[in-house]
Amino acid sequence: MGAYRRFYFLPALLMLFFGVTVESPGQEKYPDRPITIVAPFPPGGVADLTARPVAAALEKVMKNPVVVVNKTGAAGAVGMSFVANSKPDGYNLLLALSSISIIPEADKLFDRKPAYTMDQLIPIALISADPTIFVVNASRPWKTVKEFVAEAKRRPGAISYSSSGVYGTLHMAMEMLTHSAGINLKHVPYAGAGPALTAILGGHVDTLASGPAVVIPHIKAGKIRPLAGWGAKRVASLPDVPTFKELGHDIEFYIWAGLFAPRSTSPAVMKTIRESVKQAVNAAEFKAAMEKLQTPIAYLDAPEFQKFWDKDAKMLADAIKRIGKLEIPEAK
Amino acid sequence: MLQSFPTMTIDRVSASILVLFSLFVIWESRQLPLGSFRQPGPAYVPILLAALLLILGVFIILMAGRARSLSSLRWSEWRHALAILLTCVFAVFAIERLGYRLTVLLALVFLVKGVEKRGWVSSLTFAFGMAFGSFYLFYTVLRVPLPQGPLGF
Amino acid sequence: MTETLHNLYLGFSVALAPSVLLYAFLGCVVGTLVGVLPGIGPLAGISLLLPASFGLDATSAIVLLAGIYYGAMYGGSTTSILMRIPGEAASVMTCIDGYQMTRKGRAGPALAIAAIGSYIAGTVSVVGLMLLAPPLASFALRFGPPEYFALLTLGLLALAYMSGGSMLKSLAMAVLGLLLGMIGIDPMTGFFRFSYGLVELGDGIGVVPVAVGLFGLSEILLTAGQPTATEVKKPRLNELLPSRQEWRASLWPIGRGTLLGFFIGIIPGSAHIISSFVSYAVEKRLSKHPERFGHGAIEGVAGPESANNSATSGAFVPMLALGVPSGPIPAVMIAAMMVHGISPGPLLISQQPELFWGFIASMYVGNLVLLILNLPLVGIFVNVLRVPYPLLYPAILVFCILGVYAVNGSAVDVGIMTATGALGYGLRKFDFETAPVVLRLILAPMMEMSFRQSLAMSSGSYAIFVNRPIALVMLMVGLALLLLSIVPFLIKTVDWRQRLGVAGGQDAREKESL
Repeated sequence: MGAYRRFYFLPALLMLFFGVTVESPGQEKYPDRPITIVAPFPPGGVADLTARPVAAALEKVMKNPVVVVNKTGAAGAVGMSFVANSKPDGYNLLLALSSISIIPEADKLFDRKPAYTMDQLIPIALISADPTIFVVNASRPWKTVKEFVAEAKRRPGAISYSSSGVYGTLHMAMEMLTHSAGINLKHVPYAGAGPALTAILGGHVDTLASGPAVVIPHIKAGKIRPLAGWGAKRVASLPDVPTFKELGHDIEFYIWAGLFAPRSTSPAVMKTIRESVKQAVNAAEFKAAMEKLQTPIAYLDAPEFQKFWDKDAKMLADAIKRIGKLEIPEAK
Repeated sequence: MLQSFPTMTIDRVSASILVLFSLFVIWESRQLPLGSFRQPGPAYVPILLAALLLILGVFIILMAGRARSLSSLRWSEWRHALAILLTCVFAVFAIERLGYRLTVLLALVFLVKGVEKRGWVSSLTFAFGMAFGSFYLFYTVLRVPLPQGPLGF
Repeated sequence: MTETLHNLYLGFSVALAPSVLLYAFLGCVVGTLVGVLPGIGPLAGISLLLPASFGLDATSAIVLLAGIYYGAMYGGSTTSILMRIPGEAASVMTCIDGYQMTRKGRAGPALAIAAIGSYIAGTVSVVGLMLLAPPLASFALRFGPPEYFALLTLGLLALAYMSGGSMLKSLAMAVLGLLLGMIGIDPMTGFFRFSYGLVELGDGIGVVPVAVGLFGLSEILLTAGQPTATEVKKPRLNELLPSRQEWRASLWPIGRGTLLGFFIGIIPGSAHIISSFVSYAVEKRLSKHPERFGHGAIEGVAGPESANNSATSGAFVPMLALGVPSGPIPAVMIAAMMVHGISPGPLLISQQPELFWGFIASMYVGNLVLLILNLPLVGIFVNVLRVPYPLLYPAILVFCILGVYAVNGSAVDVGIMTATGALGYGLRKFDFETAPVVLRLILAPMMEMSFRQSLAMSSGSYAIFVNRPIALVMLMVGLALLLLSIVPFLIKTVDWRQRLGVAGGQDAREKESL
């Protein structure tokens, strides 16, 4: 017995250390231990706030603990590459935002070794998708997109906008607008969507694109004025605000949140997860939680989500290529 | 200062390292665009700071004659320091692979038994108590996320 | 006024309801426990425990989080004072004189004055929050990048004035700290700087692992192997409270720290961190015996501790009055409100009076609970020092690893702590001070970003720093400070440094200061 044990001890320790476990021959029932949903942003951010109700609803459906873990850093790249490189056993899922398609493109642009590639992940379901809203500081004169564009053409590079950071989602939305309208704006990046909002409220920049839940309280208070939205149709809570499409700008942009798994997750496990998520998003509790966050549910199952994601990723990749490498802070 | 080879004072040694470090930073910044005075690029501020550190380092070397000599430094605690640093390095690699409890257990047994030469019984009691006690308090009660190893520890 | 009183009555009727009171108490206890972990300060504390509040009703949740926030704030200063491990950026200053007091057997008074100072600052600043929130909030929004840059420059100059040992060496350390702050993604262009392929370095090296490494770990590395074990004087139980003289010395610093902290805290961004630096600088400047700073001056604990506490109440001003996520902590609080379906905005006070005034009242209650909770705990905490060092330091090490790991769930952070611990060990061996490195590391990213944002706003014109009145005034004050510190060198009056004959050559640990 002693010799037997010694023989097995070292390899066992090595396996422990390198996180390798022996595949048991007969596939066990999934799930039999807690599932982790990685939110690659800090608690309180959109990813975290969406992941929590998803986890809670999923826990009920799967009758198995589902915990949210925040793995933050490098604009989400840390958490996303963590899941992309984790074991495809269905126990490590990712709740990512639109920026999932931006980071590999930016890595490509800078000739960096990518933190992860999009092929490493497979979509499970789209949870929400909110169009960004274009707002201007209320003290600025522009009442319509037309007036704004005319002014921007007259004074190129004079009107400014804040964003959540270079190559961030809010920067992307504005890049699509400036490209489509053929205008030049001054970009002042901030460290996150919160500071970007503070900047427009303080009048340090003129315009901003951000999510409806963020801007609506300040629109109601009359501090900022919405001119248009990036959605295919108008936002329900802002019925008077036209879409850019209505105004003849063929642009569409959403800040979305979706659930992903590592690419080589087995089809059987994927099927279980997809069906559970489908039930979870229809649970009354989940709907109530999302209602409170003022985030409409936009559920899409894997195949449709893949199509949506492909289109979105292509659009973002084009925008990043247009922006190019910024040698100096953007002031085109 | 010219009459003989300058004595190796602690300031000379440390400032030389700072000078080398600043040169290294400047060298490493070469791949980043510098930008201009009106539009500083990503390398602008780092190079400015490295140049400042370079100047300060040179000044310290020049004025370091009166500082203590290098041989006056006592390194009596180096064994302990090395052992503690190695423990930390072990923790970096082990914490997400072995899990929190196992990592802490091994680290504490190493420090208390191996370095501080306490008895086995007290070392193991202390290590077990700390590893499982702190895990229970912070993970189970206070919900601070801590990693668990493949065996559920 | 009568309206305010009426509202306050409404608030207290909410805050004193037994269940709400229970959550305030629970929050304080949990916050204190988590805050004692090195590295886990108020921000990490409420972020980690935010999900726990989701199941409660809105008021209880906010009250619980506010309690956690206060508790963590206080818990952070405990480890700073007893073990020289800063709980977070704002308690870096407390390490310097607080730990020196511990070494002299005055840990009890240091902890007590930190608790009392925090209580006074907390209570007074809530009064400020209550009465001044709306007018101050709109003023605070006028702080854009140029103003922010001017403020940070002012902070940098205030710090530079107070160098303790060799001026050249502490300047070199300051620059080293600023340089370390350059690591990570350049926020203006997206370039990775000095990250060597490590994605985890994208956001730069965190203040927490560096502070724990340079202060706490380096201390363990230096002391663990000393043949004479530790020289920390064990406190006697009858010395737990400050002496009459210490009281007198602390009174004004607490008052000044409170005011300073509140007004700096209002400014959106992470300005509240520098309130403790500025308070320390002010106290040292005003002191008749500045040479005591760095050797266990109680003013050096009382001022910064009060300042950092009132600063974060100040940070709630723009959040509550305007619904602006004016800093990391308010941002988490706003998220907590959103989960409960409350959209924090300019209309919050009028639409949700019971929430707003309940929050205000619970801040009074929370501060009091914390004082009652913590003064008796001083005795217990102080007894930790009686544990023999060969057992104490492994335990401290475990808590350092636990705390630093938990903040971001990142083993790389533990690695950064290890590396900076080794760096701090080397620096202190060579008579360098480590505080300037940490303080500048905090300032560097904020300064660089606001500087380059300003230039982006003005399309490259430096006139933006003088055309804006607030920025101009602050830069003038900074210039005056700079001149003041140069004057002694020009007109050969005897500076206190020369008076003392501080030359560098004593054990660096004995004179660890700015």
